[in-house]
Amino acid sequence: MKKALIYIILIVFAIAFIYPFFWMLIASISPETEIGSLTFLPAHFTLHNYISMFSKIPIGRALFNSILVSSIITFCVIFFSAMVGYALAKTKFIGRDFIFYIIIFTMTLPFQITLIPNYITMVKLGFVDHYAALIIPFVINNFAILLFRQAFISTPQALIDAAKIDGCNNMRIIFQVLFPSIIPTIVTVGILTFMSTWNEVLWPLIVIRDQQLMTMPQLVTLFSVGGRAEGQLGVKLASAVLLALPIIIAYTFFQKYFIRSMASSGIK
Amino acid sequence: MTKRKFKIGPYLLVSPYVLFFLIFVAFPVLFSFYLTFHKWNVISPMEYSGLYNYEKMLHDRLFYKSLINTLYFLAIHIPLQLVFSLGIAVLLNTKIKFSSFFRAAFFLPFIVSGVVVTIMWQQLYGFNSGLINRLLTDIGLDRIGWLTTEKMSMPSIAIMATWKNVGLYIVLFLVGLQTIPKYYYEVADLEGATDWQKFKYITLPALNPTIFMVVIFSTIGGFSLFIEPYVMTGGGPLNSSLSSVLYIYKQAFDFYHMGYAATLGFTFAIFILLVIVLQKRFLEKNY
Amino acid sequence: MFRKLIPILFVVFAFSACSTDQKTKNELTYWSSNNMQEITFTRYFVKKWNDNHTNKIKFQPIPEGQSSEEVLMAAVVGKTTPDIYANMWQGLVEMYAKSGVLVQLDTIKGFVDFIKKRSGEKVLKEITSTDGHIYQIPWKINPIMSVYNKKEMDKIGLQTAPKTYEAFLKAGKMFSKDTNNDGYIDQWIGNTSIKNIWYQRLFDFYSLYLAASNGGHLIENNKPVFNNKYALEVLTFLQQLYKKQYFAKENNATGSDKFLGGQYATKWTGPWDISYTNKFKPKGFEFGYSPIPVPNSHQGPVYTYADPKNIVIFNTCKNPLKAWAFIKTLISEKGDLKLLSLTEQLPRRQKMEASILFQDYFKTHPKIVPFIKQSNYVYGTDNCELMIEVLSIISDEYEASVVYNKKTPKAALDAAEKAINILLGNFKTTN
Repeated sequence: MKKALIYIILIVFAIAFIYPFFWMLIASISPETEIGSLTFLPAHFTLHNYISMFSKIPIGRALFNSILVSSIITFCVIFFSAMVGYALAKTKFIGRDFIFYIIIFTMTLPFQITLIPNYITMVKLGFVDHYAALIIPFVINNFAILLFRQAFISTPQALIDAAKIDGCNNMRIIFQVLFPSIIPTIVTVGILTFMSTWNEVLWPLIVIRDQQLMTMPQLVTLFSVGGRAEGQLGVKLASAVLLALPIIIAYTFFQKYFIRSMASSGIK
Repeated sequence: MTKRKFKIGPYLLVSPYVLFFLIFVAFPVLFSFYLTFHKWNVISPMEYSGLYNYEKMLHDRLFYKSLINTLYFLAIHIPLQLVFSLGIAVLLNTKIKFSSFFRAAFFLPFIVSGVVVTIMWQQLYGFNSGLINRLLTDIGLDRIGWLTTEKMSMPSIAIMATWKNVGLYIVLFLVGLQTIPKYYYEVADLEGATDWQKFKYITLPALNPTIFMVVIFSTIGGFSLFIEPYVMTGGGPLNSSLSSVLYIYKQAFDFYHMGYAATLGFTFAIFILLVIVLQKRFLEKNY
Repeated sequence: MFRKLIPILFVVFAFSACSTDQKTKNELTYWSSNNMQEITFTRYFVKKWNDNHTNKIKFQPIPEGQSSEEVLMAAVVGKTTPDIYANMWQGLVEMYAKSGVLVQLDTIKGFVDFIKKRSGEKVLKEITSTDGHIYQIPWKINPIMSVYNKKEMDKIGLQTAPKTYEAFLKAGKMFSKDTNNDGYIDQWIGNTSIKNIWYQRLFDFYSLYLAASNGGHLIENNKPVFNNKYALEVLTFLQQLYKKQYFAKENNATGSDKFLGGQYATKWTGPWDISYTNKFKPKGFEFGYSPIPVPNSHQGPVYTYADPKNIVIFNTCKNPLKAWAFIKTLISEKGDLKLLSLTEQLPRRQKMEASILFQDYFKTHPKIVPFIKQSNYVYGTDNCELMIEVLSIISDEYEASVVYNKKTPKAALDAAEKAINILLGNFKTTN
């Protein structure tokens, strides 16, 4: 009896979480005039919205850009954040706590404070309209550092001491000795970073103007808020579907890892 | 580990961060701080203006409004977030079938871009043809002006934000729940404790760190609320959904008052820290 | 694994660092809007120019959307502005001019005469900055008019959209109703955005104000001058429409197009609407365009907002004369016809309906003719550095009085006037 109630509650909630996506999907394959009264299945089926979107924007190139940029950033974040996280967790040096508090502070800092100056930095470095502008400002991530710190704290000191006796330097300790034992954290950081980079819109909008270098969310956002969708709701929804799709596909394949990543992201 | 010997190693390890910090955090923050004492529309040369921006802020009705709106958002969003994520997590933890399916479903909104969620919910919230109102009329209730009334705009956005993020917190609570040793409950069963008593005296205290984290994350998230009101309401009606970040954005990118926007940014940053400190005090005192 | 990846990383960075555009010294860069038709238009003229000249034009569309202003501003900060930018909203030019980043075009020989001949004396006066110089080339406009659903107008005994406030309110009373008896109005005489965003007010309050006041101003000599009977009539009229539920209090971004669906009988729009409506209308849908409504006692022609987008030359341009020579090809009579036929946006050219060159186009595109006629009575914006903020203040008060009925129109105008005076520094603020 109690079980049945639990199932009912969960099913109701699950519908509330999945249905909007379903609605968006079917709305994107419905004729424009039917979207307003759509509830479950469209009376007519059309791919018009998708065809009209593909003819208007270079979505393939944008997909490539997004994958490239997100992958490089993910790699860099894992690499650099692990170094810093290790230093904070397993070494002692003057200023260590200071750096730790700086990281905490930076995390609470509204990005609006840094937005304009960062743009100016990009300009001065000549990065505007290059992949570099999309990548460099994101190569280290505070949250990732904290996650690595957390992971390294719980790795046994004996492992490190043994490695030191074998003459390993810090880099080898981190990436060869300790990495195998913190794979969940690496996956977590990887997925979190990849996801947030993939979904980033505001920064690309500011630093990239060349359509060939635009990331997919940027292109889709410009398409759906700008004039090129010609006010057609169906086409906008089609572009939103396309923007959501890659990450949902990745999610269905690696669901276990996605959720496990989030699960292990609990810092105490 | 010895403390005595100076070692270069750790410094090398943190050097990328220090470099990154100097370029992308310290410099921008200092530059912004410098900006708070200037008038600058970006394209003309900067003009020193003393404390003008701060004075202007103290007399700016919309500054207070946006701050109150953001706190209002948090006051709705955080309890909703806690109740739903903890509630669902507890249900999922009861050894039911398909629990991974449910978990996956709740998690779905969290992984997609905020732009997608916003485009979607704008349609759901429509007054005349929105799905939610159509459902309400079908079951004989009155339509609600979700995004078009002063009273409902911020709660509507808070509900949407909860919907988007709750999956993450469910998972965090699940982890927390799984770390509670089973024999606690076994002992409680032996002593004849009710479900509610078990929840109150075992589960809740054990989850305290997770609760704290959820509150902090939601607070930071709430203070950076931007894309939702920007796309859905533009801050209206009557500025009822003008979030602090949206106001900064308006001042900076609509009106080009960079100095003033920086002043707002700084003030809000201090508020965030203040709120977090207060929350920490409160939560630590309670347990 | 990491060691293998590092070289790849380097290659990527090196690649991105090398791809800096190799801009030759004589090249001029030209940014257009990101509108498909305008891209086609610009490509055509750029190709024509590049085939015949050694000073090439490099063309690139600017990312459009809510961010094109940011992109431009960002370019100014980074000193990476194009030589020519062809899509600057007239209300922004004064700010850029005051910042000294635009070329003073009136100093170019023959410029003033050319513009006077093409666009007329009035336009020349309108685009002259408060410092007496000219920083923009008046290029294209999209006059705001009423579009109406012919069948629905027929039902309430009208041939066009209602032309006076009285007629409009009467039509509203007849048309706006709850057709399925569920207790909610489901068809309205019209709709305009209820979002409190400054630019939305250009298409409702400001257009109607220009119509009521025969092209009156918002700001003159750095002072607000709109707290008058015309603005009061406009706000009162609009407030009535919402109070009596003749206008839908819903964002037009929600749901599919309700004008095409027959739920809105009219809306205020520009010539871009023609191809849009033709493309997406349901079968049997008939529509027409007429001037926006005016107060009952209105005399003379009906003015409207022009929504002007102009061409500017940034002073990073090494050769403004060459830039002007190229621009002249765009805005020649032939260029203007090309603009009209490719983009369905109107050139800011006087007496188009008398031009022999344009006649064939008008014959094949009768729907454009009302807009062409309207283009004789349009106004853009006043030259005020803080135009966006002025409109934003007006929008705040508009929302409070018109949409939510929290203030009388008079109180709203007084408050807007006061706030704008403070903004423009006309009072000593008490603090």
